Amino acid sequence: MGWESWIVDTLRRALAYGTPLLWGTLGEIYAERAGVVNLGVEGMMILGALSAFAVAQSTGNPWIGVLAAAVVGGLAALIHAFFSVTLRANQYVSGLALTIFGLGLSGLLGTSWVGISLKNPLPKATIPGLSRIPILGDALFRDHSYLTYIGLFLAVVLWFVLYKTRWGISIRSVGESPSTADAMGINVFLVRYLCVIFGGVLAGVAGGFLSVEYRPSWTEGMTAGMGWIVIALTIFAAWDPLQAVGGVVLFGGLYHLAYRLQRWFPPEFLKLMPYAFAILVLAVAGLRKVRRGAPAALGLPYVRGQR
Amino acid sequence: MRKLVLLTAVILLFGLVVFGAEKIKAGFVYVGPIGDYGWTHAHDLARRIVDDKFDWLETVYVESVPEGQEGAIIDRLIAQGCNVIFTTSFGFMDGPLEAAMRYPDVIFAHCSGFKRYKNMATYMADFYQVYYLNGLMAGALTKTGKIGYVAAHPIPELKRHINAFTIGVREVNPDAEVHVRWIYSWYDPAAAKEATEALIAEGCDVFAFTEDSPTVVQVAAENGLPSFAHYSPMLKFAPDHVVSGQLVHWEKIYEDFLVKVHEGIYTTENLAYVDYWWTLPQGAVELGADFGVPINPVWEDELKAKVIDHPVFGKVSIYDLVMIRHSQFGAPGITFDPFQGPVYDRKGVLRIPEGTWPSYETLVTMQWAVDGVVGPWPGEPEE
Repeated sequence: MGWESWIVDTLRRALAYGTPLLWGTLGEIYAERAGVVNLGVEGMMILGALSAFAVAQSTGNPWIGVLAAAVVGGLAALIHAFFSVTLRANQYVSGLALTIFGLGLSGLLGTSWVGISLKNPLPKATIPGLSRIPILGDALFRDHSYLTYIGLFLAVVLWFVLYKTRWGISIRSVGESPSTADAMGINVFLVRYLCVIFGGVLAGVAGGFLSVEYRPSWTEGMTAGMGWIVIALTIFAAWDPLQAVGGVVLFGGLYHLAYRLQRWFPPEFLKLMPYAFAILVLAVAGLRKVRRGAPAALGLPYVRGQR
Repeated sequence: MRKLVLLTAVILLFGLVVFGAEKIKAGFVYVGPIGDYGWTHAHDLARRIVDDKFDWLETVYVESVPEGQEGAIIDRLIAQGCNVIFTTSFGFMDGPLEAAMRYPDVIFAHCSGFKRYKNMATYMADFYQVYYLNGLMAGALTKTGKIGYVAAHPIPELKRHINAFTIGVREVNPDAEVHVRWIYSWYDPAAAKEATEALIAEGCDVFAFTEDSPTVVQVAAENGLPSFAHYSPMLKFAPDHVVSGQLVHWEKIYEDFLVKVHEGIYTTENLAYVDYWWTLPQGAVELGADFGVPINPVWEDELKAKVIDHPVFGKVSIYDLVMIRHSQFGAPGITFDPFQGPVYDRKGVLRIPEGTWPSYETLVTMQWAVDGVVGPWPGEPEE
């Protein structure tokens, strides 16, 4: 086995493991760009995972399952939007409650789906042409899930929308200074609602990916903390959709390498490596005074007429 | 006539008191969710089986109890009227012990622990013989000579199982290696998947594991590779690729224990030496990919066709060897142990002398790794 196979394997696994993280992170970036922290990602993902599995198994079509996950994720996010935007409740508390609620409800409703193997998992695809590129073709464009390719494409689109369109300006100004945005005639509540719901839709798909592709079955709590990694990656990516791709590939690659390298390095250390590395990068970026600031109004409820 | 009526009434009343007192309400404290399709799922299946079987028994459970918080849960269950408490995680340990001292009238049983008290027993259904049998098959099926093992936590229980498995592998394939990866979690599907992918990248082509989900089985099957299921019947997750596996029957232990409580054999005074260590002969564990399917028929031909020259049995097919060894673990008398001496660890230290079997103590405190285990082994003794 040469070094090429190490690179191919690591990138391949980084993308496969990273796909749900990417979808989740892109969604959370939009919610937070509009000024709303949603700690309910884990809860929205697990609800998405259960609905995707149940619907895919009942209909025999995994795509309808993914669609159901998107809808359920969006609905779950709507709860958070109602509490944090309309009722101006503490966003952290509301998000945590959503996570606990999602884990509990999915466990309760999911009992009859435990121990069933999905008939028809989501297919994989190879992109013609691009897959012929040496090394990178094998790593990035061969035998990945459709959701992996769509996720990468979505990252580019979302970056473009955020930085190059009027919609993006509206979203960012709502997150930076809602009162200014309001004065400019932007509907702060509407933007926040839409961004939070959009984040939920993406988190739902992330969960659906887990239960109809990554590991086509349902078990209680199968997201196993991925929602929290999403929250960390959002900060790591400095709320930028393209940096999110970098962060996800880096984290996913280290996650894979942690198991490849166990033969030579202590496993306790390797298990920590992806997390330790993330902290290190943040620290270095902080020291170099790169602006990695959060949206200024992040976490703050907006009350008209108050600054 | 009046005397007769009075007598009947007295007898009836007496009967009510006696049998009423013998009604058992058992409370189960689970560490995980009942939907994990692994450890807690298996305990809960067993609970439902005994609950259905005996009309003098009522059961309740609390799931996903974090280790360290079992004390309050036990208090609540006893307040609800439970007179028997089962706690099903090694990590609970001191919680049930303290509760046993606090509630001398309640009977406790703690799974996989080693602390007992006059009203607290311990119990465990152990797999090491089954792992050894699976090892025989894994050793015969590997083409690369590398078998992958995804392992949860580096504790004696897993080390014993991996060692027994490896001894089986090497009995039929002396050069084969068992590559181990630790994921440091009882339940983490993503970690199990990535560990399996890492092992595949390194050339492993047969898989066994200890993790509470069917992930390893599914990933192996996706790559067209055989695997051995763990804990729950996983044949349906990969009907063409699961060869066999280990299954548990906690209900055997729960039934025996509760019947003995019901009959007054176990009391709140005599449990200090009651320790169930049940394996194949007692039927607490089973070899198989599914209940009643010791070896997946899809793999039978290949295992029958593969014949080795065995030091004890001569020319024998792998299939027959598994059946012979399986019968040696059967009731009434066990005539073989996977750790039959001499057993050396991978550093060359003699751990079990020639002509002896390991004691219970040796089995439950095992920290060393046998020859053939490749990969990290946290807590491995220096020499």
